[in-house]
Amino acid sequence: MLVIFGASGDLTRRKLFPALYALAVRHLLPEPFAVLGSARSPMSTDEFRKDMEEAVKQYARDEFKPEVWEELASATFYVPTEFENDQGENRIAQKLEELDQERGTQGNRLYYLAVPPSAIATLVREIGERRSTSGWARLIVEKPFGRDLKSARALNREIREYFREREVFRIDHYLGKETVQNMLALRFANGIFEPLWSRQYVDHVQITVAETLGIEGRAGFYEQAGASRDIFQNHLLQLVALTAMEPPIDFDADAVRNEKVKVLRATELEASVRGQYGPGYVDGKWVPGYRDEEGVDPESTTETYVAAKLRIENWRWADTPFYVRTGKRLARRETTIAVQFERAPHPLFVHADGLRPNVLAIHVQPDEGVSLGIGVKVPGQGMTVRTVNMDFLYGGAFRTGLPEAYERLILDALRGDPTLFTRADEIEEQWRLVDEMHRRWAREGTPDFPNYDAGTWGPEAADELLIRDGRRWRSH
Amino acid sequence: MAEPLSTTGAEEWTGQDVTVAQIEWQLRELRADSMDLRTNVLTHLAWVPPTWQKAARETLAGLAERHPSRTILLFPQDEERDALDAEVSLQCFARPELEGHICSEVIELRLCGGLRSAPASVVLPLLLPDLPVFLRWRGRPDFGGRAFEDLMDVVDRLVVDSREWEDGPGGSGELERCFERVAVSDIAWTCTLRWRREVAKLWPELAGLRNLHVRGPRAEAALLAGWLRARLGRDVELQHEEAKAIDLVAVDGREVVAREERMSSSDLLSHELDRFSRDPVYEAAVTAKPA
Repeated sequence: MLVIFGASGDLTRRKLFPALYALAVRHLLPEPFAVLGSARSPMSTDEFRKDMEEAVKQYARDEFKPEVWEELASATFYVPTEFENDQGENRIAQKLEELDQERGTQGNRLYYLAVPPSAIATLVREIGERRSTSGWARLIVEKPFGRDLKSARALNREIREYFREREVFRIDHYLGKETVQNMLALRFANGIFEPLWSRQYVDHVQITVAETLGIEGRAGFYEQAGASRDIFQNHLLQLVALTAMEPPIDFDADAVRNEKVKVLRATELEASVRGQYGPGYVDGKWVPGYRDEEGVDPESTTETYVAAKLRIENWRWADTPFYVRTGKRLARRETTIAVQFERAPHPLFVHADGLRPNVLAIHVQPDEGVSLGIGVKVPGQGMTVRTVNMDFLYGGAFRTGLPEAYERLILDALRGDPTLFTRADEIEEQWRLVDEMHRRWAREGTPDFPNYDAGTWGPEAADELLIRDGRRWRSH
Repeated sequence: MAEPLSTTGAEEWTGQDVTVAQIEWQLRELRADSMDLRTNVLTHLAWVPPTWQKAARETLAGLAERHPSRTILLFPQDEERDALDAEVSLQCFARPELEGHICSEVIELRLCGGLRSAPASVVLPLLLPDLPVFLRWRGRPDFGGRAFEDLMDVVDRLVVDSREWEDGPGGSGELERCFERVAVSDIAWTCTLRWRREVAKLWPELAGLRNLHVRGPRAEAALLAGWLRARLGRDVELQHEEAKAIDLVAVDGREVVAREERMSSSDLLSHELDRFSRDPVYEAAVTAKPA
């Protein structure tokens, strides 16, 4: 049984139910199965089903098939509740028992906490105290998990009171993306890359999570979080970990996560830059600055951009910087991991003006795939060399659409496989780095915001972060 | 020059008042539908004011199969509505030795209203990653103008044809101010190549050169004179007669004969797209002024 707390929210409409529908289309949902939605909004089960039907029609990647939806809808229920209220929780517990009887779900529970961070601890306690004695119980917790190391540790302690680590699924939906998982395949299923994957051959790594969107009406959340908590702490550092980790001994959840924790422990913040966007043109449209967004303090000092230089102090990566950046209202929507290799040691070719360093770019989105920039001879009598890109596009190679991250993650949680979820110690290592960044920012004082125009690649200080190392950001 | 390839067809999509996201989606759709080979060596931008549209399309027609690239044609429009109209096509060319085709993406964008002065916001999301960006600016660049400055921050190489301007490349000093920002190519400079080769053969007699007589376009004559000034390190007097193409070059009254080379506008642009770094000899020719 999947129990969604915060079921009237945007995440349920845009991601969770479309994902459940996609799993239903492919007959991947377990049998027996039921979904119980719960939220503060007063609503009947019929109204909830109608709402989710609309959401599936609008957001699902598959064509709407009434017979598939009818089956999923018939297993979907809703109970309105106040989370902090014992009676509300009792009502849910009672409904779950009823459904166990009706649907044969045997007390198995996957609790999805799609609620604000402030509600998580209370919910964990309420759920934990009412754990069913039969069947299994698992907990999916949405990001942000805490707002600093201290609160994350406190939340982990609270969760451990009631759940074992293998029952906790801290979600970072980036890990459910095909292209992110492909990073593991690319590195560990191919003999050619791993020998090159070290300080000996890699000049540096750049990881970009760039958005063209603004805050899309989420001022309340974003003013508190900023780019450092919204993206850097989770998505960006997970991409760093996957790129830099040592090969796990197998693909078991703890084997993979042990390696990620090791590399995060070895990661240190060398320098960072923050920014906030002013007005400008994005994707051909004029957009307001962050401080002019609805609900944002006109004097806000919240960062909408973060760039950092990270050092990974281990045998493999010593002296090879990882430059990472994320921001809103940037020049293009792009999530890419770019591994730039050292140049050839001796410049053999005179006519090699067009030769760029070899870059292996993993395009997480859009244009999901991998490209490798290599130098080739230009046809003709001379010996001119230039760079061309060899592209592998998922869309071109595999004629099936890529599954949405939430499909994979919900299914893994239903199966009890936490490999693609974040473990408590990973989260704490991630917050350690963010806390360090915030400490330094507090010492430095707030920059003169806004310091970059919407539609550009961020503040000049971010460029300088690389220029002083004789490098530059990939700008296109 | 490469063997001409036969065009096998183009798939296309047209939209008015579209978003960049729609264009990206259409590109993905076109690519997904095609089993053809797709490789790219650069992104080719062209800024094409209305009077240059026909010439730009003709040049492009002979270019795509030689430089597999994404071509983005930017057409500034005299319309006040803030809108972006687009035409996206995949042009495929057959190669006898390959089973599939080689395909290039062509994106025509009509920039209306405020977008005329902020073209980079549309172009940036559409650039091919990790490949150089060339900008062919048709006509005289609007040096210092918002659109020009906006695009200069995006590109690696600016390609101009100073024959398209009244005052030639060195006249106002504006072109030379671009040299530190991006590499610059000038099609007029390429057109002088065969003459430069022949003139250079006159060395060492050339050392005493005083007068250069050129019958041809003003820009080419100015570049030849600038080249000689820069290489010889002293002034050379230029005597110029206007003509559509150079048909006479004389140094101190001695006529120079150069073998005729017929290059189409596509050939000329193609030549520029093969070059990546700065050309110090060209830059010196533009910078060298008469005493």
